Amino acid sequence: MSGRPTRRDFLSQLGVTAAAAIGGSVAGVGMASVAHAQEKPKGNIPDKPFKIGHMTFFTGAGAVLGEPMYKGNLLAADEINAQGGLLGKRKIEILKADEAAGTDANTKEMRRLKLAEKIDMFMGITSSGNTPALGPVAEELKLLTIFIDGCTDFLFDKAVPNPRYIFRITNIQSADGSTCALGVAHTWPNTRKVAHIHPDYSYGRNCYDHFSIVTKKLLPHAQNVSEAWPKLFSTDFTPHITKTLAAKPDLLVTSLWGGDYVAFYKQALQHGLYEKMKVATTLALGSAPQSIGKDHPEGVLSGVHANYHFSYPAGNRWPLNKAFVEKYHAKFNEYPNFQAEGAYTATHALKTAVEKANRLMGGWPDDDAIISQLEGMMQAGPGGYVYIRPDNHQGYKDAITGFSKNVPEYPFPILDPDRIITIPIRNITAPPGWPKGEPTSTYTWIDQTWPQVKAS
Amino acid sequence: MSEIALRIPAARRSPLRIVVWAAILAVILALLPLVMDSYRTLQLAYGLVFAVAGLGFNVLLGYTGLLSFGHAAYFGLGAYTVAFMVKYLHVQSMELFLLGTVVSSLVVTAIFGYVCVRYTRIFFSILTLALSQVLWSLAFKFFWVTGGTDGLRVPTPRLVGIATSESEDKIQFLSHNYYYYVLVIFLLAVAVVWLIVHSPFGKALQAIRDNETRARFVGIRIRSYRFMAFLLSGVFTAIAGALWVPLNGLVTPDAMVWTFSGEIVFMSVLGGFRNFTGPIVGAIVYNFLKDFAVGATVYWQTLMGVVLIALVIALPTGIVGTAKLVAATVRRRLRS
Amino acid sequence: MDILVIHLFNALLYASVLFLIAGGLSLIYGVMRIVNLAHGNLYALGAFITASVVGQWFAGSTSGWLFLLIPAGAVGAALLGALIEPTLLRRFYRRPEEYQLLVTFGILMVLEDLMRFIWGPYPISATSLFEKMGSLRVGDWIYPRYNLLVIAIGGLAGVFLWALIYRTKFGVLLRATSQDMRRASALGVNVNLVYVEAFTIGCFMAGLGGAIIVPGQSAVLGMGVDALVLAFIVVVVGGLGSLEGALFGALIVGVVREVAISTFPELELAVLYLIAAIVLLVRPAGLFGKTA
Repeated sequence: MSGRPTRRDFLSQLGVTAAAAIGGSVAGVGMASVAHAQEKPKGNIPDKPFKIGHMTFFTGAGAVLGEPMYKGNLLAADEINAQGGLLGKRKIEILKADEAAGTDANTKEMRRLKLAEKIDMFMGITSSGNTPALGPVAEELKLLTIFIDGCTDFLFDKAVPNPRYIFRITNIQSADGSTCALGVAHTWPNTRKVAHIHPDYSYGRNCYDHFSIVTKKLLPHAQNVSEAWPKLFSTDFTPHITKTLAAKPDLLVTSLWGGDYVAFYKQALQHGLYEKMKVATTLALGSAPQSIGKDHPEGVLSGVHANYHFSYPAGNRWPLNKAFVEKYHAKFNEYPNFQAEGAYTATHALKTAVEKANRLMGGWPDDDAIISQLEGMMQAGPGGYVYIRPDNHQGYKDAITGFSKNVPEYPFPILDPDRIITIPIRNITAPPGWPKGEPTSTYTWIDQTWPQVKAS
Repeated sequence: MSEIALRIPAARRSPLRIVVWAAILAVILALLPLVMDSYRTLQLAYGLVFAVAGLGFNVLLGYTGLLSFGHAAYFGLGAYTVAFMVKYLHVQSMELFLLGTVVSSLVVTAIFGYVCVRYTRIFFSILTLALSQVLWSLAFKFFWVTGGTDGLRVPTPRLVGIATSESEDKIQFLSHNYYYYVLVIFLLAVAVVWLIVHSPFGKALQAIRDNETRARFVGIRIRSYRFMAFLLSGVFTAIAGALWVPLNGLVTPDAMVWTFSGEIVFMSVLGGFRNFTGPIVGAIVYNFLKDFAVGATVYWQTLMGVVLIALVIALPTGIVGTAKLVAATVRRRLRS
Repeated sequence: MDILVIHLFNALLYASVLFLIAGGLSLIYGVMRIVNLAHGNLYALGAFITASVVGQWFAGSTSGWLFLLIPAGAVGAALLGALIEPTLLRRFYRRPEEYQLLVTFGILMVLEDLMRFIWGPYPISATSLFEKMGSLRVGDWIYPRYNLLVIAIGGLAGVFLWALIYRTKFGVLLRATSQDMRRASALGVNVNLVYVEAFTIGCFMAGLGGAIIVPGQSAVLGMGVDALVLAFIVVVVGGLGSLEGALFGALIVGVVREVAISTFPELELAVLYLIAAIVLLVRPAGLFGKTA
């Protein structure tokens, strides 16, 4: 039983690396195209369209984050349909639904989509409040579902611990707070006084919990000096900003996102908040990139939900990303966020699963066959490899965060290509076999298995 | 409300005719799941649940003349009572849920009613709205108890002691077993409320509604009767909430928000709050109408808003009221 | 010590906007006995109109010009009010109050979608003025000057309204009509005109609340429904139909919210409803209200 490691050693063991993004400049050269082998499908395939019901935020402050999810789905569907559809025969049709209607209405809408519109599959969901509600309903309806976000650990920890029909593609929520905390521990190890501003719902609480437990292990001298819990989708953060300033912290941690974060940073700038403390966020640059202006301060630890920012991997180093960003920009005249990447990858994962099942069995695969292929699948997407763990149907890919920086190539801030932080996801999330815990399995795993570093 | 909007000659209705009509309707409702697909049956189940809420609500509006803009509070209270009984007491029996709901709603409506019935008209409405928002904010804030915006899950309940196995199709269960259970409770509620409003108590309420001063002079204790009506109204709406939550599988603070109270009012006015059957018809029609609107257009709120405005301007007696008017006019024409 | 000044400014900022909305609501009720459930959406409409005028149409113009354009939202809301009152609301004055509530609820729903239809689903902002005005030094801290402007406008609006109601002939007509409509009419007051004017002023105030706050925040769908509940809390605390009630109610709500966020962050939302509940139990007519 060794003594306590130093912070540097522990971070190194976890694989937390902050380095310049290799691969040349952010804007690569030429239009990459990624070749896919085309095999002829086996057996008789019907040509009925394949209906996907897509639910995300189309209105309100959440739309800035959520609506690109639909665009990612659409882009992938267009690519697949250009080759005739799934297995060359079934074209994808997407039916939209607005998540802003509220959890109760969303439950009814999922039922309506399945029972009345007869969708073949459900995709989408941004808010963590909605997946624990809709997951069980999808299971009841026997509706094949890939949740793109709504990443709360609660879904597979408590609500649906043995999922059959439902999957989730983007990183589990506990990775957010942990990634942010590890970024802070790596970059600002002398932090002593921490202030928090989180939206008052499950995502905010989850970020707070995981940031706290990781900080307890890696920054034992750090203490909370202020907390604020504004209602999700508020527009006025002035009192919360004032409260934070009054506490004179070294660091502010915030999980505000979408329209909330935009309103917050503009107000905070006028209060001089960014000059008085360091700021770490879990989702500042996760919204549609153009929603944040160049007036946003540089050097803010800007999370992307631990998932993806379009500027990384850069250049030709990972052609899937280059092709995706270019096609997305050409079609929608904006740049993709992690939701778009998640939906795009999920749609292609579906395609892969359908093709593999067809190769094995011929004909159009039923849901069970598709599920069996999705389980354990390792799909290469623009953001990297994503592994769908068979026990909890959760997608895992390496976590990423970085620092905001203005560059001439883009009219909005991006992640500083000289300081991208990546962390192997297996080192920061609860492994298979770890029992479910409160508030999350990852929390208990970190609490019980991570050492506390030597105080320095 | 001293102005009676319309005077329709009361159709001579013998009790036997009413019972026959009711029996025919009950049989139709019982047979519908066999011909409709499960989605439509589910919609109808929701409609029946809201019909119970509307019945409760209308005891206060149609019969006592008090417009409550906070009835969602009791609906949500019923739903949360079920969720708490699941979470803390590990109860599974639907009958115990209903019993628990009656108890909790009696307590809360007694407190709220005591405050509210001291006032009438606009002040009454505002008070009910404000109090319902207080309850909403508690459900929202105390997330470690209520689950906050995530809400609380409610698993499949046991109906009359019979549990449903895990493997049984939930949609089948909801559109058959549970539908019939809701139908039975609905019919019971209709019978009970009918008896109450046609009893001397009910007549007294209507007297208070029509002319408060005269009622007082006749010796009716206004505050007590209003208070009783408030209790009754709240309890029935809470029962509706308890019936609703297994259908939804989940309760969130959205079930208590004031715009939902507005929907309950809308349903009753749509059907016609001056008739006994109005809120029932209104609730079922509203449910189907809203589902249709949501599926048809993204601007469904405009559709519903326009319907409401048109309703209030042109058809203030609602569907049932207008139907009766048309029937009476036709009858008169035929006679002459 | 300086931080208390900042807290005070925050409370006044919130109170200013609430006073404008609740004051409009109270005025309309006081004169016409109508509770306008769509009032929150007129506030939202004011915000959206100003956001698009200042933030989009005339985005590049000089600051002076932009300042003059801020009240565009208030004017827009007032125009809509002047349109709605005679066409939709007037026929309900003789009808039971329930119908008035219902028709304004219907208008609320239509307005919600109207804003979405015109301005699209995303939030709209107009922050250039907020940024251009910069910040003021208050001890160790800095505070956005624009917020102080909002507080000033709220205060001026209050003074102006008071003067209008208690010091002008028009105010006399308003008060006469609100006290006894029939007698006023018998004395020759054009009651219909007074009604439409009162409603327009009420809508102007709500729209102004939205217009002045939008440069510091943004116009988001759904802001109207949230604002209405807050306005209700203010009138419950202060008393419906009373301008002083709206003022004191707004101040109380603003201060309590600021204190709650600073000291009991978990209770932020609930504490406002709690004050409303306490006032309801102790003095249901509100601090300055009379039960009509």
